[in-house]
Amino acid sequence: MKFNLPIGPQHPALKEPISLRMTVEGEVIRDADLRLGYNHRGLEKLAEEKNWTQNIYLVERICGICSHSHSTCYVQGVEKLMEIEPPKRGAYIRYLVSELERIHSHLLWLGVAGHEAGFDSFFMYTWRDREVVMDLLEMISGNRVHYAMNTLGGVRRDLDGTLIRKILDGLVVLKQRTEYYFKLGASEPTFVGRLAGVGYLSKEKAIALSAVGPMARASGITADVRKDDPHAVYDEVPFDVCSADSCDVLGRTVVRIKELFESYKICEFLLKNLPAGDIAVKAPKKAKPNEVVSRYEAPRGENIHYIKSNGTDKPERLKVRAPTLANYPAAIEMLKNGFIADIPLIFAAIDPCICCAERTVELVNARSGEERIVRFSELRKLAGERFEKSPVKRNVEWPF
Amino acid sequence: MKVAVFLPELLRHLFKKPATVDYPFKKLQVPEGFRGTPFLHPDICIACRACERDCPAEAIEITSVNDAEKKFKMVIHNDRCVHCAQCVDSCPTNPVKAMEMDHLYEIAAFDRHALKRDWVFVRAMPKKEPKPAVPAVPATPAE
Amino acid sequence: MAVLKTILYLLVYPGLLFLFVYGTFCEWFDRKVYARLQNRMGPTHTGRWGILQPVADFFKLMAKEDVVPTAADKTLFTLLPIVGLAIVATAGLLLPLWSPNPEAAGLVSFSGDLIVLLYLLSLPTLIFFLAGWSSTNLFSTIGGTRVLTMLFGYEVPLFMAVLSPAILANSWRIAEIGAFYRAKPLLLLPNIIGFFVALICVQAKLERTPFDIPHAETEIVGGTFTEYSGKKLAFFRLMIDIELVVSSGLIAAIFLGGFGGGAVLGFIQFVLKTLAVIFLLSLIRALTSRIRVDQVVSFAWRTMAPLAVLQLLIVIVIKGLIQ
Repeated sequence: MKFNLPIGPQHPALKEPISLRMTVEGEVIRDADLRLGYNHRGLEKLAEEKNWTQNIYLVERICGICSHSHSTCYVQGVEKLMEIEPPKRGAYIRYLVSELERIHSHLLWLGVAGHEAGFDSFFMYTWRDREVVMDLLEMISGNRVHYAMNTLGGVRRDLDGTLIRKILDGLVVLKQRTEYYFKLGASEPTFVGRLAGVGYLSKEKAIALSAVGPMARASGITADVRKDDPHAVYDEVPFDVCSADSCDVLGRTVVRIKELFESYKICEFLLKNLPAGDIAVKAPKKAKPNEVVSRYEAPRGENIHYIKSNGTDKPERLKVRAPTLANYPAAIEMLKNGFIADIPLIFAAIDPCICCAERTVELVNARSGEERIVRFSELRKLAGERFEKSPVKRNVEWPF
Repeated sequence: MKVAVFLPELLRHLFKKPATVDYPFKKLQVPEGFRGTPFLHPDICIACRACERDCPAEAIEITSVNDAEKKFKMVIHNDRCVHCAQCVDSCPTNPVKAMEMDHLYEIAAFDRHALKRDWVFVRAMPKKEPKPAVPAVPATPAE
Repeated sequence: MAVLKTILYLLVYPGLLFLFVYGTFCEWFDRKVYARLQNRMGPTHTGRWGILQPVADFFKLMAKEDVVPTAADKTLFTLLPIVGLAIVATAGLLLPLWSPNPEAAGLVSFSGDLIVLLYLLSLPTLIFFLAGWSSTNLFSTIGGTRVLTMLFGYEVPLFMAVLSPAILANSWRIAEIGAFYRAKPLLLLPNIIGFFVALICVQAKLERTPFDIPHAETEIVGGTFTEYSGKKLAFFRLMIDIELVVSSGLIAAIFLGGFGGGAVLGFIQFVLKTLAVIFLLSLIRALTSRIRVDQVVSFAWRTMAPLAVLQLLIVIVIKGLIQ
């Protein structure tokens, strides 16, 4: 007997609103469907109203966990538009913060995976160790999330000797704890029993559905933007791309823990070989008319920003393609023929950052139930027409 | 198959101090460069409006109170501020910047309008370096 | 006069008031141990060391709004928490708390009260299923079916494990079993396998990790309790607390030698032994992650049941050797 089980938009398994509608039969899922749009904030439109410097902070607030990824991806693109390049020291500090953010994001994910599986002790331990990284980031940048380290042409704050020593000490502690989790978390029988064999995604399917990030790497695809398209610092830093072959949630956990080790290596290399010099160059106010695509390996996968300028100090168009958006079709595929008990784990395995991915709007006609996906240009036309037809409101009390 | 792999670690934690800080009875110290709320040093500000232009949240408002006396009023809307410290970076005065971030983060209030701070000040003159003495250039003969 | 005395016993000690106070104390102990194992603080500020926190939770829930779904059967929906509370409180009356004299131990004590206690502890499972069913909510129905599926797993090993010390002690009366083991404490050792089997099966009965599948928060919202709120939820939570006291009291009475030495000393022994059992249950809770419901059934029938049968064989052999 089939029934429809709605997971979301409000559900304790999801940190953000998204609607997954599944048709279940007993405890087995037969079909799954996805609905987005609950977290849409109109960021791309807002970005056209602010100038290049203000946009850094806007883009940073697309997400809390991967804030530096969006900020760096945007700043890389705009620096290319303005034809400036950050000095070596600035680039090193920028990518050091990137790797520290990757560490914090993967430790957060380990805790969330433990919590979704019911393993609360693991959750508490990993998040306690994540406090080490958060304190380091607070010392470097002044805030625990939304670091705001980037500026057009480099970074805003510098590192001095004591801070470098503190970061290296913190990394030693974290490396010890991560080795402990790798040894034990992967052999705790109840935990591994929940993760193994769950959410199978074969290599061909992963390529066909364009999965990115640790999701794809756990299916044996070694694709990493830092190795495929190295820019700035990554062609000088030695590191390996981590992948696993088991194509299930256990593989994704192992890939993320291995990436933690790689990040520690990269951070140590960057700190020990930090060159002297300036941390930023001066950026012009306006950019020449041009368009640029900027790619970056966020903790969740490949982040793409498309920026178009028209010679003024405001962008003409900003488009953000977050990695979670690319992982949704693969998630739907994995949910079919799984158990209900595995839904939170499968969905958490793609490391969903739903607010990053809210870029399209699906219009559902309430009376007839038909749905259509609307293009941004069409929405803009509709909004313009409606605004012209509606009467102008006078003496409106704006809420400021 | 190993059973109860976490057991030694769990038992060890029974005898350790908890990792939780008993906020609000005990508070942690914030580090040196912490970005709290912005405030102004009115005696140094030259009212160039660079901070107002670059603020992503439109949280700084500079209005002219009296044009003849060069009196300005700056209102910082702390309810709109996102604590990014771009105003500190954009401020051109040196050696001490007119905008600075303090370490306050417990600024909750019941009314958003109670979070605004304002200063009325006379703008300081921007420091100009003395121009190097230039020898008088003879007028070019008209052609 | 005797009627008044009985009513006093039923309401105060060892009846409802004592079970309420001790149940909330045990819940506080469980939460504090669980938190300390995870390097956190647990309840801290309500009362000294947070000891009044479960009481505060109970009173807060009593004051909240009570919402009944329109499609639910109102009588069944409302009666279930009260009936459940009555069942576990009655089970609490059968614990041998009163005095060590086997003739007068427990407010109610008779031959065969072990079976009655086990039966009374199985009824709450049915109550949870009915609570899930009468809520007419998809999540509650799934929770209810999971509760019954788990019942097929852990009930048989639990019965077999609890019955082995009874077979060794030659009696079906909890107080007599306790007295037998107090006289011959060395005979507690052959029952060790049964002790661990009973501990794990009691963890499944109480629906705590690794068996908290029926009300798995991250999967099916609230499971069987999704639609309950206000006073009904307060009674359900109190019922779970008292079930914790009764189950740990049962295990302490059977496997750890009962509570002897008179009224005061027996009470102190009761407190210490039940707290020891609850410490072990909290340790299991912090140690493992939740397993799937089909894995519960296969784990119970592949591991727990053979171990319980092994325990029965050991007991029969030793009994033959003694005689």
